[in-house]
Amino acid sequence: MQIKTSGITDVGLQREGNEDSFCVEDSIGLYVVADGMGGHLAGEVASKVAVEIINKSCSRWIASSAPPDELFGYSDQSLSREGNYILSSIRLANRIIYEMGQGYEQYRGMGTTISAVLVTPSLIVAANVGDSRIYIVRDDRIERLSKDHTIVSEQVDMGVMTDEEAAVSPLRHILTRNLGSVENVDADVFELEPFDNDRIILCSDGLTDLVSDEEILEITQKEDDPDTLCKKFVEKARSRGAHDNTTVVSVYLCDVKKRRNGLLRKVGVGIADFLSVFRRATRKYTP
Amino acid sequence: MARVILMFNKQVIKEYPFVEGGMSIGRHEDNTIVIDNLAVSAHHARIDKTDSGYILTDLQSTNGTFVNDKKIVSHKLSHGDNIVIGKHVLLFVGAEVEEAEAEKKKQKMILDKTMVLDTAKQRDLLAKQEVRSEPKVPEKVGVISFIDGSGMGDIELTKKLTKIGKAETSEVKLSGLLMGATAATIGRRPSGYTITFTGGLTKLKVNGKVVKGSAPLKDFDTIELGSYKFQFYQKEKEQPVS
Repeated sequence: MQIKTSGITDVGLQREGNEDSFCVEDSIGLYVVADGMGGHLAGEVASKVAVEIINKSCSRWIASSAPPDELFGYSDQSLSREGNYILSSIRLANRIIYEMGQGYEQYRGMGTTISAVLVTPSLIVAANVGDSRIYIVRDDRIERLSKDHTIVSEQVDMGVMTDEEAAVSPLRHILTRNLGSVENVDADVFELEPFDNDRIILCSDGLTDLVSDEEILEITQKEDDPDTLCKKFVEKARSRGAHDNTTVVSVYLCDVKKRRNGLLRKVGVGIADFLSVFRRATRKYTP
Repeated sequence: MARVILMFNKQVIKEYPFVEGGMSIGRHEDNTIVIDNLAVSAHHARIDKTDSGYILTDLQSTNGTFVNDKKIVSHKLSHGDNIVIGKHVLLFVGAEVEEAEAEKKKQKMILDKTMVLDTAKQRDLLAKQEVRSEPKVPEKVGVISFIDGSGMGDIELTKKLTKIGKAETSEVKLSGLLMGATAATIGRRPSGYTITFTGGLTKLKVNGKVVKGSAPLKDFDTIELGSYKFQFYQKEKEQPVS
């Protein structure tokens, strides 16, 4: 499997500092975007710390194929081993940011969103806390692999608000979950099989506030180079005022076929088996 | 105009505009809002408009009336109050308040700023909300039920990604010469359950149609994989009785 990736962050046109952080760690297939909050550089610190911790702990656990009992917190039985690595690293990052906020006056109240994707030849794991989103573009369709942890999105789930209303609601930036404000937090984690030509986008709300899902689909489909794609997204946000920091990480999968070739070969063996059984059977029934 | 929105399981059932002269809530058919559920008393509660606002009164019901998680006898309703009666939720929407509040919020909030509910009071509110939403929204889990006489019965899809195929590591193991090692996967995504064809020469069909990529699953979709046939549905996760 080949992976082409790119990541970019832009301060935008109205903010003075950039509180977003991201990482593109091709060696283990880990991609993370974090959008920090909290005054006096605290937001910047929170997002950086989160990205760093997740990257480091995942790298360590993957390298040592850590068993579930070495992870931080209970493992989730509904998830794969890799899924638990991500879940656990996010828990750990939350605890550290929380403790920093409790221990140091200048970090009080800091927090960050997180979206993380881990790609292996047989699995894509997507996890998030907050409103930084993860999209996958596959077969001309765009799908979210993240859940917005905001008041409005909960109301959409409850059926008291429509998607359209949510997109313009004054409450849309109020998070119900983030890293750093409570002692324990759990991410929403989703897993799926990778396919050839899958395109995954991780982004902060600087992008999704200004660019709709349909536009993201259209732009992603047209652009075969992840570098240019990220730049195009940032340009798009800038052309619409870029009132917030914008961060985009794009991950293009190619040659996932290799694995499927393997499967086809196995199927070939299967057919051969079938034919030989068939021949044996016919031989048996010949009078 | 004030409204009351009747909800069950996060689903909006009906919206009732406030009726001058008051609204009654209960199981009996002569109520303005009829909730046909044994947990609801015949005449359970009522809402009246007074000079000082809308007042909700519990009519000494058997199982009580709750507003924002507190049992009440009489309560002055404010916009956004969640009235819980049995397993049903009535959301109170005060019209005048709604507009004034929205306007105030708009002015107060610099729209592009992300924030999190973090003061103690707000967090309490949130915690309550979560507690409240639990009985209201039982989590659902997908089930596949084999209807092909293979005797495999019902299998709960407890994993985020369930692999179906010949491989030993599959959550649902099926045999067959042309069956792929992983023939299909059923994944739980933010949008719901999705089935994906992943390999092998065995065709995947959903409701008789061949699926080569992915297809979203709805309750009672019939899935065929070679000679196997099963139905998908979602059931409420069993929850510890609180």
